[in-house]
Amino acid sequence: MQGITKRQLLIAGAALGGLTASSRSGAQDMSAHERELYEAAKREGEITWYSGQYSAETSEAIGRAFTERYPEVRCNVVRSTSQVAFQRLSQDARAGVAQCDVFSSTNSGHFQLLKRQSRLLQFRPQNADGMLESIRNADPDNFFHTSFLGLFQLACNSQKVSEDEAPKSWTDLLDPKWRNQLAVGHPGFSGAIGVWAVQMRKMYGWDYFKKLEKNKPQIGRSSQDPVTLLNAGERSVGVAVPAATVLLSISRGNPLRLIYPTEGVLATIAPSGIIRNAPHPNAAKLFMEFQTGPHMTPVLLRYFADPLRPGSPPPEGAKPLDQIKLLAPSIEEQEKGVPEVRELWRDTFGV
Amino acid sequence: MNDTAAALPKPVAGQAEGRRGGLLRRLRYVEPVTLLWLLLVLVLLFLVAAPLLKLFSVSFQAQETGTFTLSNYATAYGRARYLDALVNSLTLGLASAAIAVLLAVPMAWAVSRTDMPGKGFTWAVVLGAFIMPPYLGAVGWILLAGPNSGFVNRFWQWLTSSEGTLFNVYSFEGLALVIALHSFPLVFIFVKAALDLVSSEMEDAANILGAGTWTAMRKVTLPLVWPSILGSFIIVFLETIALFGTPAILGIPARINVVTTQLWQFFEYPVRVEVAAAYAMPLLLVTIGLIAVQKLLLARKGFVSQTGKGGERRMIRLGPWRWAMFGWCALVGALSVAMPLLVLLQASFAKAWGRGISLDNLTLRNYHLLIFEHEMAMTSIWNTIWFSAAAATAAVLIALLVAYIVNRRLMPFGEVLGFLAMAPFVIPGIVMAIGFYAAYASPPLALYGTAALIIFAFTARFLPIAYANSSAAIRAVHPEMEEAARILGSGRLQAVSRITAPLLRKALLGGWLIVFIVASRELSAAIFLVGPRTRTMAVLLYDLSEAGNFEVLAAFGGLLLLITLVLVGIGMKLVGRDFMLRRM
Repeated sequence: MQGITKRQLLIAGAALGGLTASSRSGAQDMSAHERELYEAAKREGEITWYSGQYSAETSEAIGRAFTERYPEVRCNVVRSTSQVAFQRLSQDARAGVAQCDVFSSTNSGHFQLLKRQSRLLQFRPQNADGMLESIRNADPDNFFHTSFLGLFQLACNSQKVSEDEAPKSWTDLLDPKWRNQLAVGHPGFSGAIGVWAVQMRKMYGWDYFKKLEKNKPQIGRSSQDPVTLLNAGERSVGVAVPAATVLLSISRGNPLRLIYPTEGVLATIAPSGIIRNAPHPNAAKLFMEFQTGPHMTPVLLRYFADPLRPGSPPPEGAKPLDQIKLLAPSIEEQEKGVPEVRELWRDTFGV
Repeated sequence: MNDTAAALPKPVAGQAEGRRGGLLRRLRYVEPVTLLWLLLVLVLLFLVAAPLLKLFSVSFQAQETGTFTLSNYATAYGRARYLDALVNSLTLGLASAAIAVLLAVPMAWAVSRTDMPGKGFTWAVVLGAFIMPPYLGAVGWILLAGPNSGFVNRFWQWLTSSEGTLFNVYSFEGLALVIALHSFPLVFIFVKAALDLVSSEMEDAANILGAGTWTAMRKVTLPLVWPSILGSFIIVFLETIALFGTPAILGIPARINVVTTQLWQFFEYPVRVEVAAAYAMPLLLVTIGLIAVQKLLLARKGFVSQTGKGGERRMIRLGPWRWAMFGWCALVGALSVAMPLLVLLQASFAKAWGRGISLDNLTLRNYHLLIFEHEMAMTSIWNTIWFSAAAATAAVLIALLVAYIVNRRLMPFGEVLGFLAMAPFVIPGIVMAIGFYAAYASPPLALYGTAALIIFAFTARFLPIAYANSSAAIRAVHPEMEEAARILGSGRLQAVSRITAPLLRKALLGGWLIVFIVASRELSAAIFLVGPRTRTMAVLLYDLSEAGNFEVLAAFGGLLLLITLVLVGIGMKLVGRDFMLRRM
C-alpha cells in the first residue's frame, strides 16, 4: 500500500468513474422525458414482455438491447406464438393476477378486444411520431402502437424447387403437384397465420383451404415452423412464412429462396400495448418508447426484420416496401375473423 | 389404538402439574402424533382433495355467474371433433401400453430368468429411456423419422434407392411408438420385480411334464406375473392419456388431436376452465373403470409365487437364443436411447441439422445462445432445480409421515391418509394442474405465477411415488427398534427422527431423487401453472419447440439431460447403482 499515493488513488478513482460513465453511454443522449422514465423504471427494476411478434432469437436480442441501453431494468422476454401469448394473458386475467407489462401480438384484433375491455393503459410514446407515416397512428386513442411490421410470403428450398417450377402466387399452391410438399403454421397458435387465413378467405373464400387440404400441407404451430422444415428438406415450399426468418436462415447458409406472390404479400402491421394493471408501468412506458424509437432498428436489421422508422434500407435481400403490393385485412376483420377461421381450420384440417 | 408406552407416563405428569385450565390440561393428553395426523389430513386435503373437488364443482358452474349448469358438459361433448380427441386418446393409450408391454416383458424375462449376456447394458438402456423426457425423445424422432428428411428414411432411400418412406413419425403409429419407447421402463421394472419372485420349481414342474422353455414361459411363468403386467399396462395407459408434450409436438403435424391438446384449446381465449373441467371428468371415470377391470380380471385366481419354502432360482440356459434376446434389448436401446440421443447431439452442435455431419456445419452457437444470451434459459434451469428439490423434499416428508402412521397403525382411519396420498397416481397430471388452477390461481390465495403453486402441484402429483417408496421402506424396519427407544424414555417423534429415519436414509434419498428427476422433466402439470418468472425447463423447451428451431431446442435438451445425468450419478454414488429401478 505504501507505493500508492493519494494522487494515484484519485486518478484510479476517476478512471473507474469514467468507465462506469462510458458503460452507461446511453444516459447522455437521453431526452428529459426518457431520463425521467428511466429513473422511474430503475426503481421498478424489470419489465415482463409477452410477445408473439418477432422470432424467439430476435425477441431475446431486443430484450438484451433494451437492458443495455437502460441498465438495471431487466427485460423478461416471454416469447411464444401470439395466440399462446394471448392465452397466457387471458389466464392471468382470469386468475386476477397481474404479471404482464407489455403485450405484443401479430393479431391486431387482440388489441381491439383488450381496448374494449378497458384492459390497456393509455400512453403515447414520444418516439411514435418518428415512425413511418403510415404506421404512426395505430390507435387514435393511443392504447396501442405499432411495434412490428412483418411480411409473410412464400419460400422454397432452392435445391428442390427451381425458379421456374416454384409457385408464383397464393393460388399456385392449390396445384396438385405440390401434394405433400407444403408446410404452414397454425392459426390456433400463430397470430400471423390467423391473419393470413382471414385474408385468403376474404380473397378466395374458405374453399381455398379445402383445396389446400387436398395437397396435405404439413401443419406446425408457429409461422416459422416451415422454415425449419425447408432447411432440412422435409418439405419444399413454405406457406405464409415470415420474410425475416427466411432471410436470416439464408444468411446462415441454408438453401432457401424468398418468393413474392403476385397477388401481394401479407403485411402484418401489429401493435404492442401496456396492460392496465401492469406491475411495472414506468418500465413498460420506457419499453414502448424503445420499441417505437431508433434504438431497436439496428437489432431489427441484424435479424432481417423490417424497420419501423424511415431512413433505413430494407433488410439485406428483401425488396423495399414501396415496390411490394401489400395485403392486410382491417383490424376489425382480424378481430372478428381470426376466431372464425381458427374453428374452420380445425374442422377442415382436423387439428 | 394408542400404544401403552405413550399412554402410561402422561397421566402421572398431568396429576403432578395440577389443574391449570381445562383446555391446556386436555391438550397435554393429546399425543404429538395426533396433531401431526391432523396436520397431515389438512395438507392432503389441500394438495389432493380440494383441487379435485373444485374441478368437479367448477364443471357444473356457469362462467361469470357461477350458477349451476350442465352446459359445460354439453359444450365439451357437443362436437364430433372433441369426441374424436377422446377416442384418439383412448386408442393411443391402449396402443402405447401394448407396445410398451411388448418391448419390456421379453427384456424383463431375459434379465430376470435367463443367462442372457449384457444385463448391465440392459439396465443402462432402461435407465436411459426412463430419464430421457418423452418430448425430447419426440424431437429426436422427428429428426430420425421425418418422412423426407429423417436420417432413418434417408438411409432407407439410399439403401433401396427408392423414394419410399420406411417410417413416418408424423402418424398414429409414430406417436404410439415414441410414447412407448419412453414408458416401457415402467413395465420392465414392475414385471422384473415380479419375475424375480417366481422360483424355478414352477418351471421345472412344467419341464418335467414335457413343456419346453418357451411353453413353460408362456404357460407358467408369464401367467404368474400377469398382475404386474396388467398393472404396468394400466400405468402406461394413464401416463399416455395424460401426456401433453409428445402429442403437441407430433400430433399436430400428424393431424391427431387428443384429450390433452383439446384441453389446451379450452384454455384459449376466452379461458374456459369450466368446460375443461367437464371435459376432464371422463378421464377420471376411465381411470376408475380401469382399476375396476383390473380387480375383476385378477379376482379369484391365485398368483402366489412366494411361499414360506424358499424356492430355488436358476437361470434358464438359452443357448444361442441368448444372443437373440440380447439383440432385442440392444434394438430397444438403440430405438429409445442411442439413436434419438445421437441425432439430438448432432443437431445441438449444428448450424442446420438437415445438412448432416460436416465440419462447416459445426457450431457452438446454440449452446452459446442459451448459456450467455438467453436470460430465460438460465432462469428456467434454476427454477427447475429448486422447484423439483422443494417438491421432492415436501413429497418425501409427507409420504414418510403418512406411511409411518399407516404402517404402525397409530391412528384410526390411517388408511384414509394412505388413500389420499396414493390418489394422484390415477389422476392424469394435466387434470390435476387444471384443478390447481381452478382452486388456487385466483384470489383469495392468488397463487398464479408463483413458485409455490408449481411446487404444490408437483408435490401432489408425485406424492404416490414417494409414498410407495416410503411405505416399502418402513415396512422393512421392524418396530422393535423404536420400541426399545420408547422403553428407554424417548418420545415417539424423537424415536422416529433418531432411530427410524436414519435407518431409512438410503431408501428416502432414493425416493427423493426419483421424485426430483420426474419433477424436473414434468410438462403437463406445469404448462397451465407457470408464470413469466416461473417457467421450468420443460415449459421453455415447449416454447422453443413452437418456434421450430430444432438446433437450439436440441441444445437445451442437451443441457437438461446433462443436469439429470449429474443427479443420477450422484444418486448412484449415494444410494447404489439401481436406486431408480428398485421399487417405484
